[in-house]
Amino acid sequence: MKEKGKPATQDISPKNSFMSASYPAGDGFAKAIRAVLTKALDDQVFEAVMMPLKVPKTEAFAWTLLDDTKLLEHASPLPPVMTIQGGKALSELTKHGELIERTAVLLRPCETRAAVELFKLKQINLENITLISIDCPGAVPLSDYLSDPENQARKFQDLMEENGDEDALRPVCRICDKFSIPAPAEGGMEEGGHAADVHIGFLGQKGKRLLLFPLTEKGRTLVEGLGLKAESPENSWETAVQTMTDARRKNRQAFNKDFLSRISGPDPFSEMFDACINCHNCMRACPICYCQQCYYDSEAIRLPSENYLERAKKRGGLRFPLDTLLFHLGRMSHMVLSCVSCGACEDACPASIPVGQIFSLVGDQTQSSFEYVPGINRLQPLPLQAFREDEFCEVEIPCECGEGQAPSEVNKNA
Amino acid sequence: MPSVLNIKKGVEEGLRLFLESLLREKKVAGVFTLRKTNDEGAAAYTLITDPEHMQQAVPLYPLMPMNAGKALSSHTLGSASEAPLAAIVRPCEMRAFTELIKREQGHRDNLLLISVSCAGVFPLSSLSNGTLSQELPDYWESAQNAEIPAFLRPTCAACEHFLPFQADITVGVLGQKELNKECNLFLNTTKAEEMAEGAPGSITSGELETPEIQAVRKERMAERRKLFEPFTAQDYGLSGLVQTFAPCLSCHGCSTICPICYCTLCDFDSKTHEYQPTSYSIELDQKGGMRIPPGTLFFHTGRMVHMAVSCVNCGMCSDVCPVNIPVATIFSKVGDALAEEFEYVAGRDAEEELPLGTYKADEYSDIGE
Repeated sequence: MKEKGKPATQDISPKNSFMSASYPAGDGFAKAIRAVLTKALDDQVFEAVMMPLKVPKTEAFAWTLLDDTKLLEHASPLPPVMTIQGGKALSELTKHGELIERTAVLLRPCETRAAVELFKLKQINLENITLISIDCPGAVPLSDYLSDPENQARKFQDLMEENGDEDALRPVCRICDKFSIPAPAEGGMEEGGHAADVHIGFLGQKGKRLLLFPLTEKGRTLVEGLGLKAESPENSWETAVQTMTDARRKNRQAFNKDFLSRISGPDPFSEMFDACINCHNCMRACPICYCQQCYYDSEAIRLPSENYLERAKKRGGLRFPLDTLLFHLGRMSHMVLSCVSCGACEDACPASIPVGQIFSLVGDQTQSSFEYVPGINRLQPLPLQAFREDEFCEVEIPCECGEGQAPSEVNKNA
Repeated sequence: MPSVLNIKKGVEEGLRLFLESLLREKKVAGVFTLRKTNDEGAAAYTLITDPEHMQQAVPLYPLMPMNAGKALSSHTLGSASEAPLAAIVRPCEMRAFTELIKREQGHRDNLLLISVSCAGVFPLSSLSNGTLSQELPDYWESAQNAEIPAFLRPTCAACEHFLPFQADITVGVLGQKELNKECNLFLNTTKAEEMAEGAPGSITSGELETPEIQAVRKERMAERRKLFEPFTAQDYGLSGLVQTFAPCLSCHGCSTICPICYCTLCDFDSKTHEYQPTSYSIELDQKGGMRIPPGTLFFHTGRMVHMAVSCVNCGMCSDVCPVNIPVATIFSKVGDALAEEFEYVAGRDAEEELPLGTYKADEYSDIGE
């Protein structure tokens, strides 16, 4: 880290101007992206792409690594639903090392942020990868989409045209304020810090064009390779992004306040998980949960069976499967500092527990106490890996900043 | 004709009284049964040791939050339960436990296994969408009339093994008249008869396998054929499988929740199936494109090969699937075919050996020399 101890900014709106190149999109968003990718593959700007494709004869989407441009006919760069979290898919692809082909990867912003966290956790090798993020209106809940794909796809299309009903979105998408290029409020991003190499913007462009924002050296090479030039900032895009950011941030504050009041305290919190059947789908869908063997699936927490009865006797009864709440709390403490609020966990929960909203709220609170926003800056180390002398000095007595309190006082104030 | 303990109470309350008396008289040290976990209708299996807690038990609640066979296995994995326990489980859960015992994943000794003539359960999704609480009265009505209501899980509506195999006690539910006034516990073993001594109620006798039950079986078999229809090999085939499993998220929830999938480390989660950069490059070269993560269908067909012969058609896999893939239907269709092939019914008889664990010299001579 260049400047030790420099806190990450909490303001991620694009207050500084980004240079962009423009690309015509009169025939629709997906077609324009297909055209860009076809040209890039034909001209060997990159050799392969990983992106979502619609599986022929189905309503399903799947991540696909491809170099055959014919397959781009099925390309769905921004599907109405999040299937597998893209960061997780990219980790599958690169966790064992540098890819042989130079590969472009199209991701939603939260997937890009997950990819950055996984990169910091050494679960992604970005060596031969160019990350491309796209302005994202959100995604509809997986269960809604599956029960009525056509209608939900239409609702999503309306949202893409900035003319839709945000209530159709997943709860975590409705409160997402990092749907475009997250960047520091002041001073700009350090070179090489941006999450994506190229960002594709379409907000505020009325479907007429795509904007390509090269954000890193790799990104500049890509845009130049396409024969485009990033020349000017685009006011219409900046205004649209800022308006949406403000609205979403307001939603987020309101949500956090309301949800916090419903979830605070041991009983309300544990009741949230009453319907949990311990399938661990949330953990398996989570991009950040990369462990090959989850501690909560391991022998470490398995009791010898003779202890079950003893444990039951202490309280008159013992719930099966054991330690459901411990699993969620433990998983939370392991990954929540890197939680990108993508909502994959909530989509995957068969018991409709608002697990994404819970983790997102806790993420907000814990991340801000470390002044950390996961996934927006590749150069910022993970909070638990970076030692800062001045950090949390208030838990020491006496402390440097003078805000240290004796434990009794802390309790009083809480 | 087996003896029947007749308790003049509603079926669930009667059963609760019986279980409570077992706990009070210390005939068992604990009762493994369902208990409500909130007012919205969620329930979880619980090992109850305090008779006072029995009031919260809902032993016949039509929801399967996990296959109880899996829970019983985790409780009796290393050795049999030290103290006697009673467990109330559905027939498919009993069958799963039996299969797990054959695979050395549990012990039956010291367990009083109580099952039911099963009217099926609701899908898990009915909990969050409110169907369960709404339709619960209808459920009991249909159970009494031995009908198949539309809100049941598809696998339950098409289940032919709704009478338990080798249970110590069978609670009469399906087609039993006056469920709200009478509780009939069919005592199938000597152990059950001993347990029933001194319990509330009176001993009579009766038969579970009535003409009415046989009629239900026929109806459910017809449902089963209907359920399998879209998955016939000729019209369905490999492309059918590819399409069915297209939305799969690779969460492996089906395997995590499956009672038969007991492996600590699934082969398909192991290093064996991980791709190196070169493997991606080669496949890309050959096919022009590939699904990421790879091996979606390989996982499902592989899991099928590993466990389908023991599949008890409990339906947990379908319930837990976040993308509504009819996993249970496909697996139980294959399970049925294997059952016929090997003349084996998963969980029917604890003494019956697993087909792939048994060598028969005269088997499949047609594919030998």
